[in-house]
Amino acid sequence: MSLLELKQIEFSYEKDETAVLSDFSLAIEAGQCVLVLGENGAGKSTLFRILNGLSFAQSGTYHFDGILIDERYLKNNRNAKQFHKRIGYLFQNPDVMLFNATVYDEIAFGPRQMGLSDEEVDRRVLDSLSLMEIESLRQKAPYHLSGGQKKKVALAAVLSLNPDVLILDEPFAGLDKKSEQWLLQLLKDLKAAGKTLVIATHADEKFQEIADTSIIMGEKGTRESI
Amino acid sequence: MLPNWLIESETYAPPKDGGAFVVKTMKTIGMVLARLKVQRGHEKRHAIPAVIKFFLLVALVLLTSVTQNRLILLAMLALVQAYLAFWPAKDLASILKPALFASLLSVLIFAPAMIMHPQGIYNNLIVIAKVFVSVEMVNIFNHTTQWNHITTALRKLHIPSIFIFTLDITLKYIVLLGTVINDLLTSLHLRSVGKNHRKYQSVGGVMGVTFLRSVEMSQQMYEAMCCRGFTDDYKGL
Repeated sequence: MSLLELKQIEFSYEKDETAVLSDFSLAIEAGQCVLVLGENGAGKSTLFRILNGLSFAQSGTYHFDGILIDERYLKNNRNAKQFHKRIGYLFQNPDVMLFNATVYDEIAFGPRQMGLSDEEVDRRVLDSLSLMEIESLRQKAPYHLSGGQKKKVALAAVLSLNPDVLILDEPFAGLDKKSEQWLLQLLKDLKAAGKTLVIATHADEKFQEIADTSIIMGEKGTRESI
Repeated sequence: MLPNWLIESETYAPPKDGGAFVVKTMKTIGMVLARLKVQRGHEKRHAIPAVIKFFLLVALVLLTSVTQNRLILLAMLALVQAYLAFWPAKDLASILKPALFASLLSVLIFAPAMIMHPQGIYNNLIVIAKVFVSVEMVNIFNHTTQWNHITTALRKLHIPSIFIFTLDITLKYIVLLGTVINDLLTSLHLRSVGKNHRKYQSVGGVMGVTFLRSVEMSQQMYEAMCCRGFTDDYKGL
């Protein structure tokens, strides 16, 4: 059984508009790294919204770990929280992910909600800061950081929840060469640790080392090849 | 090297918490944004020019406001309702809801006077009807005219350019900042996986970041405009 499975998805934002995703199917096994390629407007962001349970298809099904993910399932607060805990989403623009006063609070936001002890929250935050090599930013306001630093803080905030699946939208956007190398190594480690990675990118050649498969989103979001 | 907690898979049972607030706010902002973004409304390809519509609106609202003649008011009401009768149901709601809300507000304001001086109820009802039909007409204009056509019409009427500029930019930035708030709330929603003991702090953070972004965006926009030769004389589309 696939961890993430989309079957014959039809999706359009407005009733009368052309479908963004049409007869779209996708199956991702646990531990796989899948690249999502395609031109702007091909439906990558829509696909990510569906995978994150933010939008729902007009027809077709989405199963996560065997559970049918639909509006009714996610209406239940408990189900939604459990689902969101297991899927971490890194937005292309990290600015929209940072709303806390300090980097520490930003990373601690998730673990605190999980009801972990203060010591455990502290451990997770410090480990995440060290993993991202941003220990010195601990008490800084995320808003005033550089683009690359913001991306690292946003990724640390997502990882502190220890999700099973990581959905990354253009993870290299705004990073310099050195940071790209560092992030690639981190993704390799995460994959080796059994995490499932779904990455939207225009720079597929950079991810060839870790990618198991890639899907190309074409016109109307139809998958063209695997 | 990855820390141990990140390698181990964990079973997680979320604690009980009311998280509906964020979702509801997100939905509301999303709906308002969608309405503003696709503000095509009812505008037809060969619609009456916005400037004529604007004149007509001002004239009709003025007529409705100053008329002492009950028949004129009733005729206005009948005409507007007859015009709306040809509209699709989903568009009707966006016209009637604000009009009904404004009328209800008027009823509340007049309620003490209506109770204390019942002999004046008739006049109060006339004012309430005027409010209803005026708000309906403004909504019809808003619904059938694109923002950029409204600003162009205002320009043709020689309204000071700084006023048009402020209006235009305000409308554009309502959408932009709305998108920022929506994205921040989406992120907050996705990371709200348990019990948030600092809900107000989180919402305060979202508001604070939005404010900072608005300041930054306004500064960047002004600088970008200066770089493109802006000399305080705004020319609408």
